[in-house]
Amino acid sequence: MAGPLALALVLGLASLSFIMRATGSFLPNLPSAVTERTAGLAPALLAALVAIQLTGPHGLIQLDVKVPAVLVAAVLAALRAPFIVCVVAGALVAALLRALFHFN
Amino acid sequence: MAPKTPPSYLMAGMPAGRSTREILQAAAPIALAVFVFGASFGVLAVAAHLPAWSVVLMSVLVFAGSAQFAAIGVITAGGSVLTAIFAGALLNLRFIATGIAVARSLPGGRLLRSLLAQLSIDESYAMAARAGTPGRPDGRTLLVTGACLYAVWVAGTVIGALLGPVLGDPKRLGLDAAFPAGFVALLWPMLSGRHAVRCAIGGALAALALAPFTPPGIPLAGAAVVGLWLAR
Repeated sequence: MAGPLALALVLGLASLSFIMRATGSFLPNLPSAVTERTAGLAPALLAALVAIQLTGPHGLIQLDVKVPAVLVAAVLAALRAPFIVCVVAGALVAALLRALFHFN
Repeated sequence: MAPKTPPSYLMAGMPAGRSTREILQAAAPIALAVFVFGASFGVLAVAAHLPAWSVVLMSVLVFAGSAQFAAIGVITAGGSVLTAIFAGALLNLRFIATGIAVARSLPGGRLLRSLLAQLSIDESYAMAARAGTPGRPDGRTLLVTGACLYAVWVAGTVIGALLGPVLGDPKRLGLDAAFPAGFVALLWPMLSGRHAVRCAIGGALAALALAPFTPPGIPLAGAAVVGLWLAR
C-alpha cells in the first residue's frame, strides 16, 4: 500500500477512535438505553467479519484452508486458550494444509 | 497497609486506593499478552503491505487491538481504505460507552479528561471497573494500567513490524487465516449471555445476506445495525 493511502487509513481510524473515547467527557448525560446498546456492536461485527472472510462473493462458504483454521481457533478459544495461541494455531493449520496437501 | 501518595498531579483529589506498584503488578500478565498481541499485529500489518512506519503510527495513535486488527483484515481481504476505517471505527463505538463511564472517575476539566480517556482499552477498563465501585471505575487504575499497556502495545508493534519481513511469504505461513482465527478468538469470550450470542448470529447473517448485493462496507454496516438492535 502506498504511503499516502496508509497515512489516510491511520489518520482516519485514529481521529474517529479519538472522538469516540473523548465523547464521554463532553456528553456525560447520554441515556443509558443508548450506551448499553453499543455492547451489541463488537460481537455482531466480529461474527460478520468471520462470516465474510469465510465466504465467497455469492455469500456461500468457500472451502479453503481458512475454514479448518477458524474451527481450530474456535475450539481453542472455547477451551480458554490465550488469544495468541488461537491465532498461531489457526495460521499453523492453514500453513500445514497448504504445504502437505497443496490446498488453496 | 499505608496507602502511598503518588507524586503525579494527575492523582490529586483521587481516592487513595492501591499503590502504583500494586496496580502494575496486577497488570503484568495482561501486559505480556498485550505485547504479544501487538507483535502479531505488527507482523500481519506488514504482511498486508502497509509501510512499517504506518503500522507503528497506527498503534501509537489508535491503541485499540480489535479495531486495528479488523482494519488490516479488511485491507488483506481486498477492501478499500474507507471500508477498513469504517470497520475499525465501528468496533471502537463501544468506547463511547466506556468513555462515559470513566469520565466521572478522571481528574481535571473536560479537555484533560478527554485526553486521559484515550488510555481506556478493554483490558484497562476491565481492571478499573474491578478496582472501583459499581458504576464508578477507579480512575487511577485506569491511568496506570492504560499507560503500561500503551507502552507494551507500541513496543510489541515495533518488534512485529521489524520481524514481519524476515518471516517470508505470508500465505505460505498461513497468515491470511490468522485474521478469521483472531476474530473468532476475540469473539468467543464476548459470547457470555443470550444477548451477545443473538447479536453475533444476527450480525453474521446480516453480513452474509447483504454481501452478494452490496459494495464492501455495507455488510458490516448492516451487521452493526443488527447488533445495536438485538443488544437489549
